[in-house]
Amino acid sequence: MIVNESVLSLGISLLALFCAGFLATKINQSLIAVFIVVGMILQNFFPVTIITEFIATLGVIFMLFMFGLEFSVGGLVQNQRKIFYTGIYDFLFNFPLGMLLGWLLGYDLVKSLLLGGIIYVTSSVIVAKSIIDLKRSANPETEHLLNILIFEDMFIAIFMAFIVGIINYGHIDAKNTFLVMLKTSAYFMFFIILARTSKKFIDRIIDIEHAELFVILILSIIVLSAGAASKIGLSEAIGAFLAGLLLSETKQRHRISEAIKPFQQFSTAIFFVVFGMSIDYKHVASLIPIGIFIFIVSSFSKVYGGYFIGKKYALSKKAGLRLGFSLIPRGEFSIILAGVITMNHALPYPLKSLTGVYVLLSAILGSILMKESDWFIKWFIERKDKQTDRNV
Amino acid sequence: MSEIKECDLPGIGKKFTLQLDSGDKLVIVIHSSGEREVFKFIKDKDEPSSVTALNDEEARQIGAILSGTYFQPVLEEEQKLTMKNVTMEWIKVVTDSTLANKKIKELNIRKTTGVSITTIIRGETVIPNPSPGEVVKPLDTLIIVGNNEQIKNFISTFEIKQRLENDRQ
Repeated sequence: MIVNESVLSLGISLLALFCAGFLATKINQSLIAVFIVVGMILQNFFPVTIITEFIATLGVIFMLFMFGLEFSVGGLVQNQRKIFYTGIYDFLFNFPLGMLLGWLLGYDLVKSLLLGGIIYVTSSVIVAKSIIDLKRSANPETEHLLNILIFEDMFIAIFMAFIVGIINYGHIDAKNTFLVMLKTSAYFMFFIILARTSKKFIDRIIDIEHAELFVILILSIIVLSAGAASKIGLSEAIGAFLAGLLLSETKQRHRISEAIKPFQQFSTAIFFVVFGMSIDYKHVASLIPIGIFIFIVSSFSKVYGGYFIGKKYALSKKAGLRLGFSLIPRGEFSIILAGVITMNHALPYPLKSLTGVYVLLSAILGSILMKESDWFIKWFIERKDKQTDRNV
Repeated sequence: MSEIKECDLPGIGKKFTLQLDSGDKLVIVIHSSGEREVFKFIKDKDEPSSVTALNDEEARQIGAILSGTYFQPVLEEEQKLTMKNVTMEWIKVVTDSTLANKKIKELNIRKTTGVSITTIIRGETVIPNPSPGEVVKPLDTLIIVGNNEQIKNFISTFEIKQRLENDRQ
């Protein structure tokens, strides 16, 4: 019964996604925000079933897998100093702020940590797309921007492994923290050793010409790795991420990406819809003012952080501010982090709805700000120059 | 020769920066999708003054034009010397060709026909100015240079059936 009804509702959801997404691309808006809104509307017509929830889980798994697959370990090693320093500044400007806001809202430590992550992590998907659309790939600030995104995504992947481990234990104390950290690093070590020692072996195994068997093998690697991580109390997402990282060094990387992409696109879209469906209208109205407040405060810290990093790396004021403005959009990772607690019903609702409001605001306004920030930057710099003139 | 700075743009592609003598900067971004973008930055500006997006094919064509392989400008003095009937010919080496699997040295092409092999195109790779020790392989495409008579000579000596003049585009 559930299955039959789910098929129809899934079909309706997908059609709605297409229509909304089509309109969104016409006005150059990010799909993430639109998909969430579609979910919010659809919740009036049918409930989230165990099936859609399962597809949503796969969505996170595939998203993290693709992220691992496209991650350039070589690039990370090559630019590690730059990535580390720009990343750390951005982290210090934004993560503690998020935690502080969480504390002010009366959240416990786990939720404050989550809010820290939600506010800290910029959406790589939205920003990378905007860079290309706005023809900014050659700008001097862009390489720093991308370095920051790498650091953030890497940090969030590890952070998520850790926080899910903690949530699975129920509460933070020294012993649990230690155990979770031990498990996380053991899982990471396992994959690093595997990648180091068996590269050729893995290359040989996955070199399968049969198209269908190839897809099945790759899917089994992804899902097994995710499942194993979940079995030992870590997040499925981190398992998938490491599987992606492992396969990113193989010769078949491109083929894997082509094969998995359709699964990822489908399930990730459903993930955003399910997230939207679980946002409670009742909470939303009261959360909007807080959402706007957090958006303004955190945008300010991102812009200032970007400006600060720009100064450190001898970028012009203009480029530095543009760097900061480009960091405003939040998206996929914030939602995934908020989604971490939906699957765990022990924790209450508002953080998730708040994240929904916050991501909608920052994804929509963020991409507009990224595009339209030029006049503000001009005004700001002219004003500053006048001030310095006066001082001289 | 100016220095070319290379830089990874993770998730986007690779960036090459050329500092021009004029003080302007030319930045070329090769996207992972194969698209190329050429940006011009006027001296001390941090925003491009122009952007040109090219697909893979267009980029290669322009590259050939810029490097002079497509059309070589000749100075007037030299132009008088160039003979009207010098031609380039694209030759496909068939599997059972007498050219196949022999070193250029062994073939004695220049001595017997007067023609020079300027380039060997082997699948995706291009070998410009091949050394005498280079082995001609079946299915290679040879670019040869000579006057009409020499080319005719070459074609009859090596029994060439496939001339690729029309494939040049």
